[in-house]
This record gives sequence, structure tokens and C-alpha cells, in this order.
Amino acid sequence: MKKTALHGEHVAANARLVPFGGFEMPVQYAGILKEHDAVRHRAGLFDLSHMGQFVLEGDGVADWADELTINAVGTMKPMQARYNIFCNPAGGAHDDVIFYRLPDRWLLVVNASNADKMWAHLNAHLKPGVRLTNRHGENALIAIQGPKSVEMLQPHADVDLSAMKYYFCSEAHVFGKTAVLARTGYTGEDGFEIFVDGAHAPEIWSDLLQRHAAEGLEPCGLGARDVLRLEAGMPLYGHELTEEITPVQAGLRWALKLNKPAFIGKDALAAQVERDDYPRIAGLVMGGRAPAREGYPVFFGGAHAGEIRSGSLAPSVGNQNIATALLPKDAATIGTSVEVEIRGTRHPATVVATPFYKRPA
Amino acid sequence: MAQPENLLYSKEHEWVKIDGDTGTVGITDYAQHSLGDIVYVELPKVGAQVSQSGNVGVVESVKAVSDLFTPVSGEVTEVNAALENDAAAVNRDPYGEGWLFKLKLKDGGETASLLSPADYEKISAEG
Repeated sequence: MKKTALHGEHVAANARLVPFGGFEMPVQYAGILKEHDAVRHRAGLFDLSHMGQFVLEGDGVADWADELTINAVGTMKPMQARYNIFCNPAGGAHDDVIFYRLPDRWLLVVNASNADKMWAHLNAHLKPGVRLTNRHGENALIAIQGPKSVEMLQPHADVDLSAMKYYFCSEAHVFGKTAVLARTGYTGEDGFEIFVDGAHAPEIWSDLLQRHAAEGLEPCGLGARDVLRLEAGMPLYGHELTEEITPVQAGLRWALKLNKPAFIGKDALAAQVERDDYPRIAGLVMGGRAPAREGYPVFFGGAHAGEIRSGSLAPSVGNQNIATALLPKDAATIGTSVEVEIRGTRHPATVVATPFYKRPA
Repeated sequence: MAQPENLLYSKEHEWVKIDGDTGTVGITDYAQHSLGDIVYVELPKVGAQVSQSGNVGVVESVKAVSDLFTPVSGEVTEVNAALENDAAAVNRDPYGEGWLFKLKLKDGGETASLLSPADYEKISAEG
């Protein structure tokens, strides 16, 4: 089992550690609900160093990446970040990722569980003019997320954070250490992701926590992160996106740029959009107190229609139980009543619009 | 937290308080701590006949569903209805307001197979 640069911090804080994406990672510190509350109302600190980090260099990166992904890479401005998806020829998702365009290179962040697969995929399609470096496990990634993120991070960073736009980034120093700061996240709150060399990560992590604990900064684990992202309507690879579930089915039509020249999966995805008859990811709110969990069957009009892909209690959605399910088009219409089978009993649920939660403007 | 001395324990981390021919059942402090934030409990129906070590419901945390077993056999006489809207009581007070159900004991002799507070302490310390 691999360890991130912050493993010692997690152990010292008595976090509960679980295997995730090949790393031993904290699933919770003080408790998922307390950590969730910190991110929604103050700020939380996450170790995301298990995620795959690749450095892309060379004049050919933009054109090359545009042939492998569904969203536009070549139109990204310097210092811009953009969500994107690598698909297979059938349109299913290899991985969902973020590209960060720096002055002299690109960063590509991939899911931990897909890092080896993606490294092989990129190398299999490598072209002259593109150089790849795998920093998985060497570079650290720390996220600070929550409404107080700017206030807490600004005193320790040498760039104007409030001037940084959402999904933009900057080369900077944090506590004097060379870093890339990006206004990105996976929680539905304002916040930043901090890319630093693993050697500097423990100091940055502990300094931030010590200096801002009194203002409510909490170390957070993957458990809280999963609840936060589900409330915010963000897909999790392996749940709402898989090699079989396409970005179009996952509600990510906005990320599909059919005006780009040929790219892997384009024909299949264009045909799927055209037919519009595909099963799709729907948001559900449960009528009762029983949580819906991954794999539970969903019924529509009395007949089996699909299954739950993610589910959780949602403190920011009126403490209701929310879920996603892959359902046929007619069952996935907003307002539709469906049933979720939980241990042999069917419980009512309603299809709702996602995201379930939007932060106050 | 020390184990309350007036209870008996199961290896599955349930406790039972014996009071004449009535047993009150809950999960231990170790169990609630291991589970994390408890968001839902599904309890047996009043009137149900349950058998020692049988699966009688579930306790769910934010992340996981765990089976609930009964440490003794009997007929369920009462369930803690307050948990329907406040499952977190099991975290706050596992030996008090977080109790789960009561039953009329079928066989008082079954308690011989349960653990004393000291023996349970050893098991939970080993994790």
C-alpha cells in the first residue's frame, strides 16, 4: 500500500485510514458530518496526493490532447483549468480529469484509481512534440475548500487569491514554497487546490491547520468529500461515469464539443446525442429515512428500471437522503416518482434536478 | 469509555441489560465509534420472534450499512421509536437514549454465552 507525503500527518491526527486507489488514505478525521459542516460553513483541508499527476510538455500538447478528449484543450488560455473526459471509441469514459495550462507546461490530474490505466493510455497514443512525466505519488496535492478559503490561505500566498477566477490557476509560493495554486475543487464550495513537491507538503498542511484551527479549519477525509461532491452534482468515476456509462448519459453534455475535429469517442457520442433515447443518470431524493446505496434496484411503474450509482445522507439538502441512478429516459424525467428497493422493501423516491445543492451566491 | 458493569456483551458488539425476563439491547460505545456518524437504524418489528445471534436489522453510518444482531432470543416488545428521527442518539449515548429494542427473553440460560464487561473490554481493545 502506497503512502502520500501527508501520511504521517493523518496517522498523528488519528484519522481512520482505508485503502483507496492504491494508497492508504484518510476516510475521516473527527467525523464525516463535522467535516462536511466545516467545508460548507468555514473551510476544510483535504489530502488529494493520491490523485494521478502528469506533466505534459511540448508544442504538440494541445492538438494531441484534443484528439483524445471530448472537451476543448486548444482553446484554453494560459493559467486556465478545464474539466475534461477521455473516452473509449464507444463513448464510455476512460477517466474524467482536469487540465491546467501553465506558461511552459500543462498539468493533468487524473483519478487515483485510473492513474495506471491513464498513464498507459497516454503513452499508447504519444506523438512527436509531446513529452510526458509521471509525478503520481511524488507531487502532493492539498485542497482547501469552503467559504473561508481565501481568508485563510491569502496570508500565506504571494498572489492575489480574490483576483483569481474560478477554474484558473497561478504559479505562486505558499509559505515560501514553490506551488501551483488553482481555484478548483470537488465540493461545491469556493476553494483552492495547491500543487507542491511532496517534501514541502507536511509543513504546509500542519501550518495551515495550526494557524486556522481556531477559525474552524478542519482536516477532512474522503468520506466527507464524497458527500460534498454528490450534493454538488459532480460525477465520481466508477459511479456516474464508467467505461460503459458515457459523459452524455452522465449529464455532461456541456463538456462535449462536437465542433472539434475527430476525437476518440466522437462518433458514438454524437450518435447518442442525436438519438436521445439512452439511459441516463438521474438525481433522486428519497421519501423516507432509509438511505439508498450503490447497487440497490430502482423501479418505475412497478418494473425494474435501473440501479443506484451513489447515495448518501445529504446535510445540505435538508438532511434528506439523495442518490443518483441510471434510469431510462422516461423514468429520469424531473418530478417522476420511482421506488428504490432496500432489503426487500420498496421505498418511494422522486427524480429531481441536479445539482442537489448550490452554494449561496 | 469503560464498559458499564451492569450489562452483558456479544462478540458482535451489542449489549443487553437483563431485568427479570426483559432484555434491553443496544450497540456498544466501541461499535458506535467504529461506525462513525449513524444516520439510520432499521429495527425489528414489535412482536417479532428473534433468535440469539440472528440478524434483526441494520445500523447505517454515512458510508456503510452494518447488520444488527440480537445477543439473546425472545419476542420484541418495544423499539426505540425516537431513533427514527434522531439516529445520532446511538453515537451520543449508546448505553442510554441510544438503546435499540427490548425483548421478552425466551431462554435466560443464553446469557451464559455472553461476555462480561471485562471480557468484552479485552475484545474491543484488540479491535
